[in-house]
Amino acid sequence: MPELWKLHDAILNGDAKTAVAVTQEALAENVSPLELVQKYMVPAMDQVGQRFECEEYFVPELLLAARAMKGSLALIRPLLVASGAEPVGRVAIGTVKGDLHDIGKNLVSAMLEGGGFEVIDLGADVSPEKFVNAVKERGAKIVALSALLTVTMGSMKNTIQALKDAGLREGVKVMVGGAPVTEQFAQEIGADGYSENASSAVALARKLAAA
Amino acid sequence: MRLKLISCEIFYREMCAAVARSPHRVDVEFLPKGLHDIGSPKMSARLQEAVDAVDAQRYEAVLLGYALCGTGLVGLTARAIPLVLPRAHDCITLFLGSNQRYLEYFQNTPGVYFKTSGWIERGETAGRLTQLSFGNSGEGFSYANLVEKYGEENAQYLWEAMAPSYRQFSYIEMGVEPDDRFERQTREQAAERGWKFEKLQGDMRLIDKLVAGGWDDKEFLVVPPGHRIVARYDESIVGTEEVDIP
Repeated sequence: MPELWKLHDAILNGDAKTAVAVTQEALAENVSPLELVQKYMVPAMDQVGQRFECEEYFVPELLLAARAMKGSLALIRPLLVASGAEPVGRVAIGTVKGDLHDIGKNLVSAMLEGGGFEVIDLGADVSPEKFVNAVKERGAKIVALSALLTVTMGSMKNTIQALKDAGLREGVKVMVGGAPVTEQFAQEIGADGYSENASSAVALARKLAAA
Repeated sequence: MRLKLISCEIFYREMCAAVARSPHRVDVEFLPKGLHDIGSPKMSARLQEAVDAVDAQRYEAVLLGYALCGTGLVGLTARAIPLVLPRAHDCITLFLGSNQRYLEYFQNTPGVYFKTSGWIERGETAGRLTQLSFGNSGEGFSYANLVEKYGEENAQYLWEAMAPSYRQFSYIEMGVEPDDRFERQTREQAAERGWKFEKLQGDMRLIDKLVAGGWDDKEFLVVPPGHRIVARYDESIVGTEEVDIP
């Protein structure tokens, strides 16, 4: 029996090699993929989030933990899909048009995947049309918008407007985040939710998915 | 008038030139460019400290050589004398002379990273590309200290993950530089990376206006005593609200 706590620790410590190795071993011994996610990976990422909030961890630690988790998830995801496990929700995520700064978006994307969401990562500098298409053609139910620059915050508003113009606004939830974004801004542009950091983004997405 | 200017050191050469030309007596205090990278709450706290240290008996107003800077100026409060700041998202507006010029250029120039003398010679992260304005970086990172802290393999991954995909350096010449050294450096860096290089003529108009007085409401915000700065999500960019001063 592999020592599964090592998967938890490998993610917490950002050790991708160990995370992948333990996952492989566990799957070979028929440990349930869902158990790996729920009992080891999600709690590890939660702890990563907590350490970030109390300034024990900084962006590099978050990125390394996310990479370890993604490495492990890459092995688990096909099994989950094959077993017919439904994702918690389908999220289209990207930094808005004009904004190339994607660290925050990548972290949220990784956290959402770890939290059981199917994530359509549209990348950086994503036009409103691309978000619209992700909803229309790929069935995203949540649209997550990220911006670092105040000059690109207007693109968030434009993206929400594009969803309205396409007649899709009713069917999706829009969540926003990024350094200059605030709760007040989120409300002003008519977003459904705002999250201050990557770990609370998962809780927000769960709430929006359930609404 | 006797004015106190508290400015980000990114404007060092420009503010010094503007102060020299100002009809007023302006005392200057520069704060580290690194405040940009420590997160908004800490940045505004540090600025508030500097504002509160100004002797209100000696000055008629405190000028801020800043922009909204993410939300780095939100909450900053005028105590006994007014604060004055340009209505701008970030320093590029001040270098280019207007929000409109900045926005037009930004929207038509994908992947642009701006450089000025201050970007090059000031701050601990002088000249390096980081996007550490995201969250709590804690410190500036060089490749070498990433390797030291996280090991070679991790450092490589982090270095790539943290560098956004800029494609172009746009060097803004403000007319206060001694020669073409900053332009040359930027050209060389662009060539090394295979990026496009463009030189822009900067515009001292807003910087001069900040230091010379005559702060019209369209381009400047005057924060009266007992009010604090708030972000506005329209063309006014910043506004004020009343606070209860304890």
